[in-house]
Amino acid sequence: VVKRTLSLLSEASAASFVFESKNFDKPPYSGYTIYRPVFDRWYAQKAREAGVTLLAGCLVEELLSDGNSFAGVKIGRDKGEIRAPVTIVCDGVLSLLAQKAGLRKSPEPGALALGIKALFRLNEEEINERFGLVRNQGCSQEFIGCTKGIRGGGFIYTQTRTLSTGLVLHLESLKKSGIAPYDLLQYFLDLDPVRKLLKGTRLVEYSAHMIPEGGYRHIPRLFGDGVLLAGDAAGLCYTNGLNLEGMNLAVASGFHAAETVLDAFQKSDFSAKQLAQYQSRLKESFVLRDMKTYEKAMDFMRTDRLFSIYPALVSTIMERIFQADGKPRKKIGRIGWDAAKEALPLSDLVGDLLKGGRSLL
Amino acid sequence: MIPDHIFELASYRIDQEPHITVNREICRPCPHKACTFTCPAGCYQWNERSARMDFAYEACLECGTCLVLCDQGALKWNYPRGGFGVRFRLT
Repeated sequence: VVKRTLSLLSEASAASFVFESKNFDKPPYSGYTIYRPVFDRWYAQKAREAGVTLLAGCLVEELLSDGNSFAGVKIGRDKGEIRAPVTIVCDGVLSLLAQKAGLRKSPEPGALALGIKALFRLNEEEINERFGLVRNQGCSQEFIGCTKGIRGGGFIYTQTRTLSTGLVLHLESLKKSGIAPYDLLQYFLDLDPVRKLLKGTRLVEYSAHMIPEGGYRHIPRLFGDGVLLAGDAAGLCYTNGLNLEGMNLAVASGFHAAETVLDAFQKSDFSAKQLAQYQSRLKESFVLRDMKTYEKAMDFMRTDRLFSIYPALVSTIMERIFQADGKPRKKIGRIGWDAAKEALPLSDLVGDLLKGGRSLL
Repeated sequence: MIPDHIFELASYRIDQEPHITVNREICRPCPHKACTFTCPAGCYQWNERSARMDFAYEACLECGTCLVLCDQGALKWNYPRGGFGVRFRLT
C-alpha cells in the first residue's frame, strides 16, 4: 500500500486527504492488502511444512480441563478430544471458547463493530488507472460521513483483481439507528465518489464480520493455566481514526504466543505463572504498547459528531471557500468560524477539540 | 437488496440442524427486536400478522451480531458443525 486516502463526505460533496509515499513502495514495505484465500492457503502450507497437522472443517466445542489446568480441546467430530498441555485460543472476536471457559465475559455491543463487505471484480489495469497506481501498488481509501450518523465509516481497498468495499458500524450505534446494514451499504455504494470508483465492476461476494473495538480496557486476561488468548479472541484491535489495526496485532500476538509455548515446553511448565511471560512479551512489543497509546482515542471514536456534524462541516467550509458567485469573499478563518458556529454549540466544539487532542497528541 | 441475492453472493453448505435456535416466546415482547434490522443477512423477520419472529438460519453469515444484540436471552447460538455453514471463497 503506497497510497492512503481519508475522505470526509457529506450529501453533496467530499473533502479528501491523500497521502502517497515512494518510501512505502520499497522494502521494508509498510502495509499490504491481502487476499485471504491466497494468503491463508500459503500460510497453512508454511505451517504444514514446519510439521503442523492442520484439522480444518472441524468445530472446536470447548476447552478440556483436568481440574487445575486446561488440557486441550473437545472437537465436534467422532467425539474427539485433542489433549495438549497448552492451548492457544484464537477463535475470533466472539471467542465462544474463552467465554465458555470463563476466561472472558460475553462481548458488549459498546465494544464491538459490525463490518460488512462487498467484493467487486475489476481487472488490474483498470484498478491501477482509477486509483492512480502502477505495477502491484495498492491503496486504501477510508470514508467518514457516509453512515447516516451511525458511528463508523466506509472503505475501499484495492487488491490485484478485486476491490474490497464496505462499512464498519459500531454495534450500539447501529442498533439505535434502526437502519439495516445492507441498506446503508447500498447507500454508500451509490454515493458519487464511491460509485465512480466502482463503475462497471461486478459484485462477487458479500460477507460480514464483527470487529473488537473495545480498546485497551476491554482486553481480557490473556493467559491461564494451560491456555493463551490471541488475536481477535484477545480483543487486540484499535483505531485512532487513521490507523486501523487488527491483523498486524493478531499475527504478532500469534508469534509471541508461539515463543511463549516453546519456552514452556523447554521448562515443562504450563502454569499460568510460566505463561504470564506472554503478557510481558506483548507489553514490550508494539501490540499492547500501541493499544495503550491509543486507549483514549478509542473513547474519542465514540463521539457521534465525528461521523455526522464534522464531515459535513468540512464540506460546508470547503464549498464556501471555493464558491464563485460574484459576492465578495471572507477570509478563510472567518468562513471556518462562521460555519462552525452554525453547525454546533461552541462548547461541544471546544470539548471535542480537547478530547481529540488528548487522545491523539 | 443484497439479502435477496445472498445465496449467489456467498457459498453455503447447509446443515439440517440449525446452529442457532430462537425462543420465540421471548421474542414476542422484546422491546427493540434489533435482530430484525441489524442482521446483515436478514435472517430475522418480525411477522406482524402472526406476532411471531420468523427466523431462517440458512443465510447466516456467522458474524454474531444477533447474539451480541439480543439482551433478552432468546438465542442459543453456536457455530455450525465442522464443514457446514457459510464459506467465503473470495474474501
